[in-house]
This record gives sequence, C-alpha cells and structure tokens, in this order.
Amino acid sequence: MSAQYTTNELLVAVVAREIANGDLVFIGVGTTDRAFTLACGVGVVATRLAQSAHAPDAEIYWGNLISPDLDHMPQTWLQDTFTRWPAASQLTETAQKNDMLAFGRFDVSFESAAQVDRYGNLNITRLNHPDGSIKTRLIGCLAQTEHLAFVRKPIIMVDLKRRTFVEEVDYVTSLGHQRHGVPRQRYGLPGPGPQLCITDKAIFDFQGEGGAMRIRSLHPGVGLDEVLALIGFTPEVPVTLSETTPPTAAEVELIRTKIDPNRTLLRV
Amino acid sequence: MKEKLISLSEAVRRIPSGSRIAIGGSIERRQPVAIVREIIRQSIGNLSFYAFSTGLSVDMLAAAGLLARSESVYVGLFWHGLAPSFRRAVEAGRVTVGDFSESAMGARILAACSGLTFMPVKALLGTDMAKQDPSLVKEITCPFTGELYVAVRALQTDFTIMHGYRADRFGNVQWPLARDPDDFDQSVARGSKRLIVTVEEIVDHAEIMRQSNLTYIPAQWVEAVIEAPFGAHPLAVDAYYDEDVDAIRAYAEAGKTPEGAKAYLDEYVRGAPTHEDYLARFGGLEALRRRLSVVGRVA
Repeated sequence: MSAQYTTNELLVAVVAREIANGDLVFIGVGTTDRAFTLACGVGVVATRLAQSAHAPDAEIYWGNLISPDLDHMPQTWLQDTFTRWPAASQLTETAQKNDMLAFGRFDVSFESAAQVDRYGNLNITRLNHPDGSIKTRLIGCLAQTEHLAFVRKPIIMVDLKRRTFVEEVDYVTSLGHQRHGVPRQRYGLPGPGPQLCITDKAIFDFQGEGGAMRIRSLHPGVGLDEVLALIGFTPEVPVTLSETTPPTAAEVELIRTKIDPNRTLLRV
Repeated sequence: MKEKLISLSEAVRRIPSGSRIAIGGSIERRQPVAIVREIIRQSIGNLSFYAFSTGLSVDMLAAAGLLARSESVYVGLFWHGLAPSFRRAVEAGRVTVGDFSESAMGARILAACSGLTFMPVKALLGTDMAKQDPSLVKEITCPFTGELYVAVRALQTDFTIMHGYRADRFGNVQWPLARDPDDFDQSVARGSKRLIVTVEEIVDHAEIMRQSNLTYIPAQWVEAVIEAPFGAHPLAVDAYYDEDVDAIRAYAEAGKTPEGAKAYLDEYVRGAPTHEDYLARFGGLEALRRRLSVVGRVA
C-alpha cells in the first residue's frame, strides 16, 4: 500500500537509507529557503529517521555541535537557540572541524550548488559570462570543497533544473570525478568524491564512464523524458530504469508527528 | 600592565588607507561592526579585508566604496541572502576577491600564528581556487612522500579588528563559559600584528584574574581595547544578545540598490557620528537590551 507523501518526505526516506549505523553525518550551516531544506533540513530529519530504524548509533555534527539533542529540536534558528542547544560535545574552534574533515572522520555530507556538471564538479562561488568574466558573485566556498575532498559519502542535494545541471561548471568550487579530461585520481585526494545526486525528480550516481552521472532511479510518477529535459547534458541511462522506493506510511507518520511536527526543517 | 583602553575614534584613526585588515567573527555573530562603522565615518579607503566567514562588515565597506579586496570562505547575509553591495562591487570589478575553502583559509591563519610563510593543504587540489593567483596558491609535492599538495600563503596583514565579550582595561579579553565557538577569533588574534578589540563590557581586572582560563586573548597580543556595547549590532553576540532580525532585513532591503545602500549609510553611519548615536537610532542601549538581550536566559 502506498503512502501519501510530499517530495521532501520522499527525499528524507531516500537519504535515511543511505545512512549506515555509526555514521557521523555532517550538516552545514546552510543558507536561505530551499537550499536550507535540501542541505540541512532533509539531512537532519533523515538521520533522525535512520536512528529510529537501522542506524541507532548514527550521529550528526551541526554548527560545531556533535550529537545535539534531536529529540528537542530548536523551533527557531536565532543565535541563542544554537548557543544553548544541548549536545554531547562542542568543538572549541572551527579549526577542529576542519581537522576532523581532513582526517576523514565524517561519513556523510550534503551539498547544495548553483551548478552541478556531468562529473559532479560543484560551483557555489561565481557564475560567468561566456567569455569567462564574472556575471554573478555567489557566496564563496565554505567547507564544500572539503566535503568532496575528504568525506566518505558526499550527497549532492539539488532540484533538477537546466540552469543547475550544466555540461561544465563555470567555476570548480569542489572537485568531482574529472575536469577537462584530468581524472580525480591524479590528485590523490583521500575521499572518493560525490557518490549520489538526489533531486526532486530522480536519483543519480556517478557510476558512468569516467565517473559520469548516471540515472539510478526515477521518482514515482516521473518519466525519463521529463528528467532529460531538465538537464543541460545527457546523463548515462541504464537499460532498465528503476523507481525510487517511496517512504512507508509509518515513516511519513514519524516525520510528521515526532521528528519535524512544526516543519522547521522541511520548510519549503 | 599597560592601560590600553581608548576611544573608538582614536583607535580607528591609527588605521591608514590601503591597510590590510584581518577581521574576526562569523556570519551572524561577533563581527566588529562598530569599528567598521567608524572606518566608514573616517572614510579610510582602499582597504583589503581577510576573514574566515563574514558578510555584513565587508558589505558595508563595499557600499561605502572603501573596499579594494576581500579574501574569505564566505561573504553573505545568511538567512537574508547574498551580500548585495559586495556583490555589485565585485561584479563591476571595483573589488577583487580571493576565494579559499575553510581548511585553506584556516591554514593561512594558522601559518601566520606560527610565523610561517605558507601551509600545505589538500582540499584545493583540482579546484579553480588552486589556479587563482600563483602568489597565493601553488601546487607542490611533499618532500617525503611525493604526494601532491597546494601551498597556501600565510595571511599577511597590517591590522586585525575583532569584537569580544568582556575585557579589562589592559586588554585581557575573556569569553563566557557557554558560547558559540564556531569561528577562528583566537587564532586570528594570535597571528595579528596590531590588534584592535571592541568588547561588550570592560570589567575590573580583579574579575579577570579570578578566571584566567577564560582569557582567550591575553593583553600582550592587544594594541587597543574599546568598550562598545552592542558593538556587533545588528549581528549577535552569543551569550549577550540575539541578532536583530528586523535591522538586518532592513539593511538587506536597503542594499538592493546603490541609492538605498547609500541612504542607509547616510542615516545609520555617517548621520550617527558616534557609536552611542548609532544605538540611539534603535532606541538606545537599554531599549536594545530589553528587546535582544539573552543574559540570564535559561535553556
């Protein structure tokens, strides 16, 4: 029997299945609106869902807190809420988080991006005119570069749009599987690079030729033509297309009544 | 110990045009906004700013036309969007930018602390940050293993400005027990040449002496300390006050056009000759405390 669910709840269920028991999940500071839901909200709700099922020992890092109390989620995100949120530990300086990243202590991370390309290169820094001059200044780089360099399973979380899914990113903030024919392997980075790209229409992995993006599954009710029309390049398409497994009614119930009843995390 | 308590305007007069300035704080908290407003009042220009993550401060300087360069991991207004005046200035070519990821910028700060000229990092390998400027980033190999690295240049600055919680008249700056430590302030201070710190409150030296473990910036690193309550407003100071959401929104809204940004500075900065005059625009210190203070609040 299929449950009634929202797209965000579907994404939560998909991400929860990717979290293994004992994983330390990196949640970024996020940013506004939809990017907050995708890069922060879904990851937090998914980790809580995974904890209640197959991964009781999964933990999150968020805003320099490790294992904040997810049973008492802040209802506002003002500074003082974060200062006082009970947690098992608080890193004493951002440098410690950077070291934990470079040391390989994080298992899963989530990435939003203004541009994603065929090989999973990400851009959150700047958009260019065709001649390479700057068109739009974005936020910078943050620790996304470190996620793709060091984390065991970085997951790209973006909505499927032609202007986001481009043949080649204007600026490589974070390295995917190859760039201009130079494979990631040249650099000897400790992490494997982006492992999944989860969107509102379909899920992709990077098991294509040379680490190229490949469709892993289409969400229920979504057709292949619809997906391809929303991508600025042609991803690899497997011979048999599978359908994304939707959340169960019990999972939806848990999300709505216990984990995020006021929708402070799955906002938009 | 040498007395280092001076006025805001006196401290800022020491900063010449063209200075390279490191800045403390984080996106939403403890940026030295009172110092930045005074820099704008004194029209000190052609400045280069170096930060870990920042936003409002650099945006205000860009709006005032005083910013020449910015290097950081992030410039933005967090919930309130991109930094509008900074973005316009960068897109128009009036401000140049150096982009660094978090471990790369952290390494540059820590290299300065240790008196080193560079630090190796791996995160930038293969990214466009590694290609931006060979005088700041360069691919190298480990002399022992042959592994590839990117060497990042140590931060080179003339001044460092930051906002802290409390200090004595000598410049021993303390943090509270419960706080938000997601920043690089202590390291930025440790690697500074001429450090100017504003604090929420000046307290008796005896008060500092009682809990020396809370002193994160010893007086020996400090050139000048200034009392500036709500010195990070409209941003937050953790354990002191929350961010002033309405005021940040008003700033972001005004910044949508160059005219709006200028009008904002005319009203809230140039039109408010002192920090006290600025606070008066929001009803004064007591009104701000009533509205935003978190002192004494319990979880």
